[in-house]
Amino acid sequence: MTTTARIQFPRMPRGPRQERRYTERPRQQGLVQRAIMEAFRKLDPRLSVANPVMFVVWCGTVLCLLLTLVPNLLDARATAADRGFNALISLTLLATLLFANFAEALAEGRGKAQADALRRTQARTEARRQRPDGSTEMVDSSTLRRGDLVLVQAGDVIPADGEVITGVASVDESAITGESAPVLKEAGSDVAGSVTGGTRILSDQLTLRISADPGKGFIDRMIALVEGAERSKTPNEIALTVLLAVLTQVFLIAVATLSPVAGFLNQAPSVVTLVALLVALIPTTIGGLLSAIGIAGMDRVAQFNVIATSGRAVEACGDVNTLILDKTGTITLGNRLAEEFLPVGGHSSAELAEAALGASCFDQTPEGRSIVRLAEKQGAVLPFDAASASGIEFSARTRMSGTDSPEGTEFRKGAVDAVKGFVRSRGGTVPDELDGCFEQVSRLGGTPLAVCRGGEVFGVIYLKDIIKPGIRERFDQLRRMGIRTVMLTGDNPITAGVIAREAGVDDFIAEATPEDKIAVIQQEQKLGKLVAMTGDGSNDAPALAQANVGVAMNSGTQAAKEAANMVDLDSDPTKLIDIVTIGKQLLITRGALTTFSIANDIAKYFAILPALFAGAGLQALNVMKLASPKSAILSAMVFNALIIPALVPLALKGVQFRPLSAEQLLRRNLLVFGLGGVVAPFVGIKLIDLALGALRLV
Amino acid sequence: MARMLPIRFWLPLLIVAGTLVVAPQLRPSQPPLQSHTLALLLCGTVALSGYLFAVIANPEKF
Repeated sequence: MTTTARIQFPRMPRGPRQERRYTERPRQQGLVQRAIMEAFRKLDPRLSVANPVMFVVWCGTVLCLLLTLVPNLLDARATAADRGFNALISLTLLATLLFANFAEALAEGRGKAQADALRRTQARTEARRQRPDGSTEMVDSSTLRRGDLVLVQAGDVIPADGEVITGVASVDESAITGESAPVLKEAGSDVAGSVTGGTRILSDQLTLRISADPGKGFIDRMIALVEGAERSKTPNEIALTVLLAVLTQVFLIAVATLSPVAGFLNQAPSVVTLVALLVALIPTTIGGLLSAIGIAGMDRVAQFNVIATSGRAVEACGDVNTLILDKTGTITLGNRLAEEFLPVGGHSSAELAEAALGASCFDQTPEGRSIVRLAEKQGAVLPFDAASASGIEFSARTRMSGTDSPEGTEFRKGAVDAVKGFVRSRGGTVPDELDGCFEQVSRLGGTPLAVCRGGEVFGVIYLKDIIKPGIRERFDQLRRMGIRTVMLTGDNPITAGVIAREAGVDDFIAEATPEDKIAVIQQEQKLGKLVAMTGDGSNDAPALAQANVGVAMNSGTQAAKEAANMVDLDSDPTKLIDIVTIGKQLLITRGALTTFSIANDIAKYFAILPALFAGAGLQALNVMKLASPKSAILSAMVFNALIIPALVPLALKGVQFRPLSAEQLLRRNLLVFGLGGVVAPFVGIKLIDLALGALRLV
Repeated sequence: MARMLPIRFWLPLLIVAGTLVVAPQLRPSQPPLQSHTLALLLCGTVALSGYLFAVIANPEKF
């Protein structure tokens, strides 16, 4: 018996990129209840100590609770009458801690739900393991080891990650990607030759060589990444933690030394009041939301069906300066179609069609199949017996593919200069019109493929490239954000130039080899830039590892996925642009809430300081005309607590992203979150003061 | 974590020792209970400040 479960990843709508929006996350039952439970569990000081700002609040809360129970613990003059006020402050501080814990637990809960969904695909199953003598035995999937050969048939769940050794089959990968369309898997293909454990084979059968021991497969690594990512701080978070700790330290020393100074002025405040002042001064809002913002950033990437290896990877996206994009699949639609045959050297269009059919009969790429369709449409017939012929696969080195007929005739198609070289190596000559056809197709933005038979050139196939709708606007947005785009293509410089101009990329590299990718990345990095790229083949692995942000396609090879720091489960290279946007949004959200947190302390000074030093002439600072010193302190504390849950949705969803330059964003955020952070608390504290007065609580 | 265990052991000891040293200094102005709790608060605040210095020095550990 085989079992499987499907991950309920949220899906992005298919269609033009500009119409894509974040989809609503499937309802995660009990997420809020679990977060509430977790918020109480996180009150454990061994957990609180990880957050310096909130640990100081924790210490203050314990102190206030003790002073509620024994009001004269620190001051013999204190009476039981102080107990009520101490209790209210204690409860407010406790609420502040719980709200901060809740925000973090809520963000963590969403990540854990994703890990649980991945774990459900790991149902144990039985597998047909091949013995050395060729017979098979049924074994539990957990006993499979790297190197074992396994036979899987239609309807089976693939028991572990592996490479296809023999066979061609369609595989349902929706358990991993959510994509219902089956994927063709076949032996000998770099990209289509790897399968993932937990997916289901729909037709035919495959023989697999297991590529991962139990617990070390793709899903296992993804679970570890999703669960572990939230625990490792990013460089940006570390820097912010230091800033918050320094601010907390400064205010702790200031408040600790305030007591003797106030005593000299005969204004000695109670310890509870000093704790309230300290909590109001330290940046509790960002302290409480910091980890939630980081975890939510990871979660937003996951909403796009991308698994990030760490928060560091997501954050690096926000700082990316250069995007290196493959033309095919990213800038143009993946499937180029044969549009026209342009014969040369006195050959007829029918002769060219026949030679093109001969060169393409083993080519299973969309381009190859479209050439076969066009040739057959023109009445071409294969000039040899395909069963006895052998196919020559395309390689980046030869930049040609083709067929060797049973009689030994070599049919080839490929880049024009590559075919020229091939023809000359076979003693043939190249007709002068070939260059004219090449230029004609290139100037149309199409890809010219020359066709030859042995040493004889027959003409050029015009492959039409279609630029993805809306891609130019996307590149315009990236340019406004200060991101440079570089297109890499195996096309000739004329075609590449036409496509680059139409798509609006900043630069392009034509006739690129896999080595060019890594060279471009290194060149950009030497200029101090952060580079992002996508890749799927084993030959992309070094470049993916070299790039600051490497996004591997889930359909890609194991090597590519291991080298990258993100894996796109939908295998959509255009998503790199979305991922960069999410990274920027994460950084902007963290910056905006830090600004807000520090700015909203100002109103709290105006509430608490006049209350503390009314007798020393600071009553003039009571600009909010708060009812009484106790009401002022309590109002500030209540506002301090309530602002955390009020900002949780913003922390989890992220500040709305606008494609602006860094300077424009800074100006805008200072205006919205800086000025807003100053004004909002004045209004909030006054309203709370009025409410407390109405309720006669103080 | 292994390096934190000794801190867990000797930090409370230091706080208690500091309290016992500071409390007599506060005795002239405070009754015995209050002088001891005030001394404890003072030492606790110093410890909290030390913890914040530790965070600033090794932020990645927290």
